[in-house]
Amino acid sequence: MSLAVPLPVALSLLLSILAPRAVRRTAPAAAARGLMVAAVVTSGAYAVCLLMLASTLVEDLLPLSTEDSGAGPLAAVAAVLLAWGLWRLAGDLTVRRAMRRRLRGVGRPRGGGLVVAEWDEPHAFAVPGRPGHVLVTTGMLRALDAGERRAMLAHERAHLARHHDRLVSWAAAAAAVDPFLAPVREEVAHQAERWADEEAAVVVGDRALVARALARAALAGRRPPPAPSGSGGSGVVHRVRALGHPAPDGERGLVLLLTLAAVALAEVAVVAVAWLA
Amino acid sequence: MRGHRAHGALAAEVVAALGAAQAPLSPTEVQAALGSEQGEEKVRATLVRLWEMGVVARRPEEGRGHVYWPMRDAAADAASRMRSALAARRPRRAALRQFVAGLRVADVEVLRALLVRSGP
Repeated sequence: MSLAVPLPVALSLLLSILAPRAVRRTAPAAAARGLMVAAVVTSGAYAVCLLMLASTLVEDLLPLSTEDSGAGPLAAVAAVLLAWGLWRLAGDLTVRRAMRRRLRGVGRPRGGGLVVAEWDEPHAFAVPGRPGHVLVTTGMLRALDAGERRAMLAHERAHLARHHDRLVSWAAAAAAVDPFLAPVREEVAHQAERWADEEAAVVVGDRALVARALARAALAGRRPPPAPSGSGGSGVVHRVRALGHPAPDGERGLVLLLTLAAVALAEVAVVAVAWLA
Repeated sequence: MRGHRAHGALAAEVVAALGAAQAPLSPTEVQAALGSEQGEEKVRATLVRLWEMGVVARRPEEGRGHVYWPMRDAAADAASRMRSALAARRPRRAALRQFVAGLRVADVEVLRALLVRSGP
């Protein structure tokens, strides 16, 4: 039972450290999905382990418990971590829903699933919905030439067609509950961008054109925005470089991810046995 | 289905081309701005359809037939709503995926070099 906190935390950290390496040569579509599944399973296991330990605080839930002298403080830690995770999850869901609503409210697409905003700042978003649409500013449109515009639109449409918002939302929810998975959430987001880049490259039939569109759009901002902390930082350069190589099509990284997910399930079993004992 | 999607894609590209232009464009100019192999008739038909849908405005211009431009009011309204949507700092980081995000100062040189290498 004393492993119920350190074990899930260690496993989450392990996934966070290994995930980006594991998927380095993996096709982005497989990498993004595999990472998301591994994150959700690991986060679920983390929550269940903490819940079992935290529940020992409540004597009613554990009629058999008469010992448990050492688990007291640890159970309190588990309860605090769990409460923090649920608080973060509620916040994440609220913020996400509000943002989606606001972006949908910007304008209804009437031609070609595109809403154009007259604004010099370069922005392009895929706004999910049924059907979703692309929201883009004139600043972005003017920064790109015709081919680059096609690449940008194809990229955003790939996000919509592949429901990348769901993928990213699941990963974010997992990392909200289990804060030790934050790097995995960033990697899922990055792989979703890579995935859309690869699909755009297929649509326009030119990898270099997509790379150029990315570079141009990134430089169009008047100033480089402050890079977010974490490994997602220089994502654009990585994406541009990746387009300079053939599309990765490996799937070996998935084996490691699924193994870690299986270990997470085994960990739940171990903790559950200790809990029931 | 495929034809339908291709049609929507062309409409989006036409709207994007008009949005990028600083002045109203004739169908011939739109076709040039698309930089693709779209036939002029197809572009013209798409423009008319967009005009009928109220997405773009047009006026007759001597010697050029009609010239087209995006509905500025809608675009300006969209911009102000978008500004306020993005104004909230925390949601912006948490809930948005952008075409590009997270540029570092060190990235700028790398990207510039790429653009120089790959031509205009």
